[in-house]
Amino acid sequence: MEKVSKELVRQLVDGTITRDDARMLLKMNPKDPERFWTWLEVLQERVPWPDRILLRLSDHLYVVRKDDGRRLVKCDCGQELGDYRANWKIECRMRVRTTERQFHEVYYPAALSPEPGYNEIREFFCPGCYAQLAVEVVPPGYPLIFEVLPDIDRLYREFLGRPLPDESPTWYRDTTAQRTAEWIAG
Amino acid sequence: MNAVIDEHRTQTTPAAVPRPRPTLREKIAARDARTAETGRYYGIDRLALREADPLKYERFYSRLQAACMAAREVARYVAASPGGREMGEAVWALTTAEGDSLALSEGFVAHSAAFPVAVRFMCEHGYEENPGFADGDVYVSDDGPTCGAPHPGDTYTYVPIVHDGEVVGWAGAINHIMEVGAPQAGSWPMFAIDTYMDGFLVPPTRTGEKLQQYAWWNELWKRRTRAGTMNILDDKMRLAGCAMILRAVHEIIAEFGVEYYLQAAREVIEESRRMVMDNILNWMVPGTYEQASFRICKYKGLQKVWEHADRDNVIHVRLKVSIDEEGRFAADMEGSSRWGFHAFNAYPGGTSVAQMMALAGALGHNTKFTSGGNLAVTKHAPYGSIYNPDTTIAAHSNAWAQMMQISVMSFQTLCRSMFLRGYAEESFAVSGPWDSVQGDGVLADGTTYGYTNFELLGACAHGAYAYRDGEPAVWFIASQLCNMGNSEEFEYLIPPLFHLGRKLEPGACGHGKFRGGIGLTTVHWVKEPGQRLSASRAGSACAFFTENAAGMFGGYPSPGAATVVTQGTNLPELIASGETPRMLSEVVQFVQDGRLKARRQEVWKSDAPEHTLEENDLWAQVAGMGGGWGDPLERQPALVLADVESTQVPADFARTMYGVVVVEDGAGGWRIDEEATRAQRERMRENRRQHSTPTRAWWAMERLRILAKDVPEPIGDMFRSATSFAGYAQQYNDFWQLPADFQW
Repeated sequence: MEKVSKELVRQLVDGTITRDDARMLLKMNPKDPERFWTWLEVLQERVPWPDRILLRLSDHLYVVRKDDGRRLVKCDCGQELGDYRANWKIECRMRVRTTERQFHEVYYPAALSPEPGYNEIREFFCPGCYAQLAVEVVPPGYPLIFEVLPDIDRLYREFLGRPLPDESPTWYRDTTAQRTAEWIAG
Repeated sequence: MNAVIDEHRTQTTPAAVPRPRPTLREKIAARDARTAETGRYYGIDRLALREADPLKYERFYSRLQAACMAAREVARYVAASPGGREMGEAVWALTTAEGDSLALSEGFVAHSAAFPVAVRFMCEHGYEENPGFADGDVYVSDDGPTCGAPHPGDTYTYVPIVHDGEVVGWAGAINHIMEVGAPQAGSWPMFAIDTYMDGFLVPPTRTGEKLQQYAWWNELWKRRTRAGTMNILDDKMRLAGCAMILRAVHEIIAEFGVEYYLQAAREVIEESRRMVMDNILNWMVPGTYEQASFRICKYKGLQKVWEHADRDNVIHVRLKVSIDEEGRFAADMEGSSRWGFHAFNAYPGGTSVAQMMALAGALGHNTKFTSGGNLAVTKHAPYGSIYNPDTTIAAHSNAWAQMMQISVMSFQTLCRSMFLRGYAEESFAVSGPWDSVQGDGVLADGTTYGYTNFELLGACAHGAYAYRDGEPAVWFIASQLCNMGNSEEFEYLIPPLFHLGRKLEPGACGHGKFRGGIGLTTVHWVKEPGQRLSASRAGSACAFFTENAAGMFGGYPSPGAATVVTQGTNLPELIASGETPRMLSEVVQFVQDGRLKARRQEVWKSDAPEHTLEENDLWAQVAGMGGGWGDPLERQPALVLADVESTQVPADFARTMYGVVVVEDGAGGWRIDEEATRAQRERMRENRRQHSTPTRAWWAMERLRILAKDVPEPIGDMFRSATSFAGYAQQYNDFWQLPADFQW
């Protein structure tokens, strides 16, 4: 079972990997079990901050462990988006497209553009670097989609075989509604 | 055929020691109990036969699998409609007596989830005693509640394999037929309001014996569907393959012995279950993954005869996936809409097929394709929901209209999870809204016919990967085999519809740092329609809503499909001039700029209902787009330039979408205006700053809108339906902090 080189993982992260190399990775059977650690190593070297990456969530977002023990969502620009147990979208800035003209700026040709009134196109930006982190196209009134709440303790213990030192049953719990409750309480 | 069966019956060697002969009903009960108690298929602990002699074991399995593959490759050239022959929209299977697949051909492998539904139904309804199962009997079904069919266009054949008086398995097949005989012509009636409008639909029924269909069965196809000839060809195709499997299994039993056969069958299924469970452990990140999709169902004004269905519906498809304690891929569909008086309901068997449509291949591509993978996937679909109706009258003639999203979102969950795990090479924006034109007609000589053109079903674009753009017309979520069929084949079978264009539609994808593959467009020209020609649209997501609600990491989700119907045209004048519209957007543009004169042009972002088409009318479609990945402002300008140069993305749209200014270079080509691009991208970033608000502020405003119920009526109805399930209602109300007495 061969280990995939760090350089190849770097190219995969950068989007510069060649077709042949990508195909080679796709055809690996079994997958290299060391990948997660190589992946984290590559990612950690790329970010300009020291917090330990526990998991990559998306192109820009990571779950990191802070020195004080908190686990936060953090953008590669350094902006922090709160405890990872709450949907990080609640810490973003949002632009909401509602009109046909606004829809046509992002969907082409016009016949394929979603129906205004029944849809709003929600774009979520990092408040630090304004990278577009997510897009939702949903009817008005639809709750924010919590794309993934990872069970990080279980990942490290059962799936990777290297338990984290700060395991706790409270780490895998959706706390988004607690935040909105705080909002309503003012 | 009869000689084949008799030959094998005489070759059978009785076991030296009589073995208990459980009934089929007893076998199912034993399978259920032992699997439930242990979590392992039939309670299999050790793969004893594999351990004892792995070469024999693998040789045994390869014989079974080869029989299924041979059945497919031969039978579809014996007889078949274009969907079966050209596009391979079919699968052949060898199942256990209980209906669990232990070998499958290439093709629609996900339908392995439906076979046990039919076998269970037959046993629970006394078929074992009346009429009983004999070697080479022929059963057929296409009915969701009783046989697990996703929709009546998916038609199944089952042939019991009986050895020495005991049912030891079934040879099974399914293919997608061209016409189902519903009030609305075609393969996916979109406007059925209850099952009595689903079309020609039969619960599991013995339609023949000794590998020969009864004469009346062919007459039913002829009388009750509009494409009787095609459907009979498909029926023969399925049966021919089943006959090959039946023969092969008798030979394999003669070679290996029935005891080995029965034990090895269980081990093969358990082995693949373990492999899929290992894959979940090795590839995924545990957690909770949430996704949603919406599907318009526009009936208002079209259902004047059936007043109770005269309303628009918005269907909520919700999927919440976690890895359960046993390590299975557990899908919770609570919050999806209730079933309704429309054509898009599904039954549990079909829903399982939808789940496995993505996961059979995605989670099981490195092991044997069997029902074992199905045991690694669970679902929760509340009773009364669109995936588990509390009635058997719900129409399901195009369950795929919305259920395809269960497939897409299940696959998307896996892709997201593999990205988190570091296997980004596997991760892409899953998408593939498909489309077709269907209908019926009467030729000039009085010949009647029904039809479906499947071409925009079998070849969708790939969504963007984490590291590169998606490609057009390269995949089909339902099968390993992507194929749109030959244009000429469809033109031969649907005489009045000629391809004026069959191309990629520029700009048609979800955009992002990496864009999805471009969608396909076709323009059909009506020529010599005879006495009458009708057409309507069938398919999955349509452009009213995007395919998925959530894009990938800042990319835009794939749009749904669209149809443009243009009637009363001067097309012959354009043909004479040599300039004709070849894609959907050109059909629209040509009418707008006056080049194409038309009495009427309609753009349909929902399902186009039946239209009567006449000479020189045009039916244009676009479908099969891929979704985008990542922030579009991070797209390399060179990729944008390449898109403009290859006409995949128009220059004007590239400026607003990507902030890349591509201008003509004066030599017939294009170049990037780098300074203008820098300025444009800075303007767009500034626009993000200026025109965005904190989520908290948006939440407060949106909450007021909810309290005022200020949404279109079908959206309010959708929320009312979704929140009628207590678990989802709790989550919905908690997010918005709604008063306890609030109800949609």
